[in-house]
Amino acid sequence: MRVPAIALKRRQWEPFAFASPALVLIALVIVFPLIYSFYLSLRDFDLSVGSDSTFIGARNYGEALLRDERFIASVWNTVVLIAPSLVCELLAGLGIALLLNRVTHGRPIITALLAIPAMVSPVMAGMAWRMMFGVKYGAINNLGRQFGLLDVYFDWFSSPFMSVVSVVLVEVWQNTPFMMLVLLAGLQSIPQELYESARVDGASPRQSFWHITLPLLKFTMVVGVMIRMIDLTKLFGLIFVLTFGGPGGATETVAFNTYLVGFKDFRMSYAAALSYVIVGGVLILTLLFQFVQRWREARAA
Amino acid sequence: MSTLVGTTPAVAVRRVNRHRIGRLVADVFTYLGLAVTLVFFLGPFAWILTTSLKGNNDFFAFPPVWIPSDPSLAHYVGLFTRASGLRYFLNSLTISSMSMVAALLVSLPTAYAIARWRFGGSVFGTFLLVLRMLPAIALIIPVYLMYKTLGLTNSYLGLVILYTVVYIPFAVWLLVGFLRDFPVEIEEAAMIDGCSRLGSLVRVVVPIIAPGMAVVALFSFIATWNEFLFAVVLTGIETKTMMVLVTTYTSGGTDMFYGEASASVVLGVLPAFAVAFMLQRYLVKGLALGGTKG
Repeated sequence: MRVPAIALKRRQWEPFAFASPALVLIALVIVFPLIYSFYLSLRDFDLSVGSDSTFIGARNYGEALLRDERFIASVWNTVVLIAPSLVCELLAGLGIALLLNRVTHGRPIITALLAIPAMVSPVMAGMAWRMMFGVKYGAINNLGRQFGLLDVYFDWFSSPFMSVVSVVLVEVWQNTPFMMLVLLAGLQSIPQELYESARVDGASPRQSFWHITLPLLKFTMVVGVMIRMIDLTKLFGLIFVLTFGGPGGATETVAFNTYLVGFKDFRMSYAAALSYVIVGGVLILTLLFQFVQRWREARAA
Repeated sequence: MSTLVGTTPAVAVRRVNRHRIGRLVADVFTYLGLAVTLVFFLGPFAWILTTSLKGNNDFFAFPPVWIPSDPSLAHYVGLFTRASGLRYFLNSLTISSMSMVAALLVSLPTAYAIARWRFGGSVFGTFLLVLRMLPAIALIIPVYLMYKTLGLTNSYLGLVILYTVVYIPFAVWLLVGFLRDFPVEIEEAAMIDGCSRLGSLVRVVVPIIAPGMAVVALFSFIATWNEFLFAVVLTGIETKTMMVLVTTYTSGGTDMFYGEASASVVLGVLPAFAVAFMLQRYLVKGLALGGTKG
């Protein structure tokens, strides 16, 4: 039986009434602050000086992009941390997903166990690893000494290079599971018939991998990498506990630098400008990524 | 068996055997690889747990003690009494629960408007994407100043409002999916029987999509529990969360106070363990949309 249309007739105000609490809250707590922040970024408001501020136009943006060596260095640091993390997460995630895809027994439980690092807070992950890296009582140095691989108490955060390596290791530990989950879902959406017909045609497993799995998994990989890339530009909690930006600012990311400017130096206007530069950067990165992707697809077609 | 046509039985059997052995070897390597992977990804948790149960003798022993010889809960007791750990644990619990309930209450009607009336059209999708990319640092600077003016820093209310709103897009997005799967006919029947729109949402839709709402609730709980930047800026000595508490142990250099620090990490990751098992089917969706990172 069809229902009379009257009963379901949409009253004009109803959708708005239902959505209004969320809309009002978003307007007040997200949209308004962001507009206020932009207004702030055009002034010279500094909490450590006082509550007075004057309009200075785009001078904050000029300072951030041209003169602030510390911020420019933090952009570079962020790139240095992002690039190896993305590569390792993609490769390790793919490897584990391929292993899991072969498994017939206990896949759900193994998947759930492997997903846990991605579910914990970066602060907790950083703290756990900070203790693992501990010089005298850390598990890594203890293991190394027990097996005779290390004969000194090694300080993993003594040099800029080793600090970057350590941060990347923790980041990869934490977020490879996400990549693995995404790629596993992608692998399982590939129809088995493709592999069967390839085998009948005499294709080796390696050929199946290069000519079936990888091409069909490409889109999933792109999505996974893109999500990780956007999230990595926000890298903050991990840095806060692992290195606090050190040594010598080698692991100071853009988000961490902005945090220090805002909540250590209290240069609110300048921090607001920096945050808008970051937003702009992420936006450009995302668009560029999509553009390259489209261009490659167009060329392939 | 088409490949075996035209070969003698003996050759065929040998071929099948070789195939079987190959499979067996591959299986062994698969499970071996997964075992190594599991040790790498779960090892740190195991070590933190044993560390939190160790006595001082075990800490300083060499060769290192991996399994505590005399396990005790002394560090947990110390954390709860000396470091006000209990208070901060309860803070986290309170703030996360309140944000979870508030996010659901606000998001459900919005999701309903989108699922039933296509409210917002494609604008909503774009908006969600933009919010997904928006770095938290861009929001906390103006919000901190606003909260300072309004007296909302160092209060549960301020954090709960912020967490609720930041979580709305994700909650709405997941709920729309669940609501779309819900047959309109059931609702129509209720409304013909005299139920109002809101009445049918509360009495008919909610009981049936309750499992979906539980998924959203758990994700929002874990996201709020895990959030750090907003918490470290907006909380004071009374309202600190577990995430903020744990960072106070970093002041001791690389050899900090391991006992209490590891105990607080164990408590801090507990919800993640629970949720990872409860939400298995939704992990990809939830993680992709930033469902666990506040």
